[in-house]
Amino acid sequence: MGRGLFIAGLVSLLILGIGLDGWSAFRLFGSGPWIRGFVEGSYGLKLHEDDTKHDEYNLAEIHFQLKTRMDLDANDLLADWGAQLNVKLEGVLDEYFDTTMNYKVRELNVSFSPFDWMDVKAGRQILTWGTGDYLFINDLFPKDYVSFYIGRDDEYLKKPSDAIRVSMFWDRASLDIVWIPEFIPDTVPIGERVSFWDPYLQRVAGRDSVMTIVDRSRKISNSEYAARLYGSVGSYEWALYYFDGFYKNPTGFADQSNYEVYYPNLEVYGASFRGPVFRGIGNVEFGYYYSKEDEDGEIREIPNSKVKLLLGYEKDMGHDFRIGMQWQYEYMLDYDEYLHSLMPGDIPSDVDKHTLTLRLTKQLWQQTLTLSLFVFWSPDEEDTYWRPSVSYDVNDNWTVTVGANFMWGKDNWTDFGQVDRNSNVYVRVRYSF
Amino acid sequence: MMGKRILLMLGMAMMLGIVYSGRGLALTADEIVDKAIHVAFYQGDDMKVNVIMKIVDSQGRVRKRNIVMLRKDIEEDKEQKYYVYFLEPPDVEGMVYMVWKHLGRDDDRWLYLPALDLVRRIAATDKRSSFVGSDFVYEDISGRTRDQDTHELVEEKDDVYVIKCVPKRPETVEFAYYIVQIRKDNFVPVKFEYYDGTGKLFRTIEVLEIKDIQGYPTVTKARATNLETGGHTDLDYKSVEYNLGIPENIFTERYLRRPPKKWIKL
Repeated sequence: MGRGLFIAGLVSLLILGIGLDGWSAFRLFGSGPWIRGFVEGSYGLKLHEDDTKHDEYNLAEIHFQLKTRMDLDANDLLADWGAQLNVKLEGVLDEYFDTTMNYKVRELNVSFSPFDWMDVKAGRQILTWGTGDYLFINDLFPKDYVSFYIGRDDEYLKKPSDAIRVSMFWDRASLDIVWIPEFIPDTVPIGERVSFWDPYLQRVAGRDSVMTIVDRSRKISNSEYAARLYGSVGSYEWALYYFDGFYKNPTGFADQSNYEVYYPNLEVYGASFRGPVFRGIGNVEFGYYYSKEDEDGEIREIPNSKVKLLLGYEKDMGHDFRIGMQWQYEYMLDYDEYLHSLMPGDIPSDVDKHTLTLRLTKQLWQQTLTLSLFVFWSPDEEDTYWRPSVSYDVNDNWTVTVGANFMWGKDNWTDFGQVDRNSNVYVRVRYSF
Repeated sequence: MMGKRILLMLGMAMMLGIVYSGRGLALTADEIVDKAIHVAFYQGDDMKVNVIMKIVDSQGRVRKRNIVMLRKDIEEDKEQKYYVYFLEPPDVEGMVYMVWKHLGRDDDRWLYLPALDLVRRIAATDKRSSFVGSDFVYEDISGRTRDQDTHELVEEKDDVYVIKCVPKRPETVEFAYYIVQIRKDNFVPVKFEYYDGTGKLFRTIEVLEIKDIQGYPTVTKARATNLETGGHTDLDYKSVEYNLGIPENIFTERYLRRPPKKWIKL
């Protein structure tokens, strides 16, 4: 029944789309602000069965987005500050859970410059920094890995934060300070839609997962702070980072009799450097993850402190062909204490972990056809994740994307091994206006 | 007798004069190219322009690009900074592309994707790739430096110099040579013809309109034609303004994340 409604919706979207062709951004009330956005239908065919809600697919939705920007100049002060309102609203008809339209506010923020050396952005916004490509060391803003695994657009890897960002600019350096009053975790697989390794069941679980995530209550002590001091010297960019908040994944164990997991405290100190090297762009990023609730690494229920190092290189090979490579190294501190804290039956982590990534991008037909491949591979954990895609801009409004998410791992508890029953092949058709 | 001598003297004087004026006025090919590069890419201290591109394929299908471009000269006829804000097509609206142009080494390029709040650094070795999917390449927009080619004045017509340009490093470009016609009166390059290794013409750029803007002869309409695909791109430079006093800090990460309303407003 729901399925039929979804297909009917998709077909009407296509028919409407053909009718809409050439229809573009419009103004509210004739002279109001421009309204832009897109309508998109997507479907992801699942390649394996497991105990999630649906066996045959894990993506089936119609998604629309409306966005606008408005200058706030009704009042002299606001006009003086160049105040601007940014709004991005979305509606999702998600066949996976139910076929009702869910509305979401993706962005709703005001930006202004109270001084010529200061910018402020307050409200719901997307926050990104750091130098990695799909590997994040100092970018601890919330992400949505369920969207990532099921083949939604890259835009949805980033989740919005309700935050205040204050940026200050001087000649030699700039400083960003972000306050997120209410902690927002990453969206990670928990079995409903994407199966995963349930640490309590000690196996891959779907809807039969017993794990319960303990939400952080909404109090001021659960707010997060992030800062970045950055600048450039010639063509080279440097940055120092600080983060005080929580693990974005529920990596801590709370009341084990109730199968509870939670988000332990985390502090991160980091640095990055990026610039031209060997006729390409090289980047290096470092982070020290200080696990505040387990300083000495002796507590079994809480992850140990870690250091992470990332080296990356991207090169333009000519003819619209680009190659990017990264190597990430993670090293667990206080490993002896960690081993000592384990109980019989626990699966011990290695002291370190290597992750290699490769990105290939080739554009053809006057950049209307984009072939892309991104590969994650961890040689020591023996797991891998391939993201091939082909995207074609039919014209300035229509884009068709066909892609796949292939995860595989030797063991069921590694990053990609645990989600390997969720591999899919998807198609997305988008009309932008 | 007297008349003969005067005639001889006159004749010698004329010859001398021709030689003299030849020495004084004839420009070398390099000098002509220098002037043309200046006129095409460096006029004024800064510039703001709304660029409309119509990309037409061999079947007549049209794609449109609408951008606001800011340019600031850092060092006369050398270093420049570019800020390119996308208005259309809709899927890239709000995207910003920034270039710090260098001579003798790769440019620095950044791309800002507003949906992800992501400032990406782009490896930019190949300046001969298409600019935003059009029939123009990056170097057509931001300039090809004089030292990359050798220049030979092959013909001097009434109104134009015809110069053959041969790349010093042919492996870095898609052409074997190109012929450029440069107007004698204002040094605007008005036609480019690109030839491949077999001597076949495969791409042309023609200037369709030149306007005097604030005393600077400015190309306001041009067409690039790809003779291999049968497609072409029409470039329309609208509302060109020079010497606005655009601050250099506009060309930094701050204004990628927060586009400067004052400077990109049309």
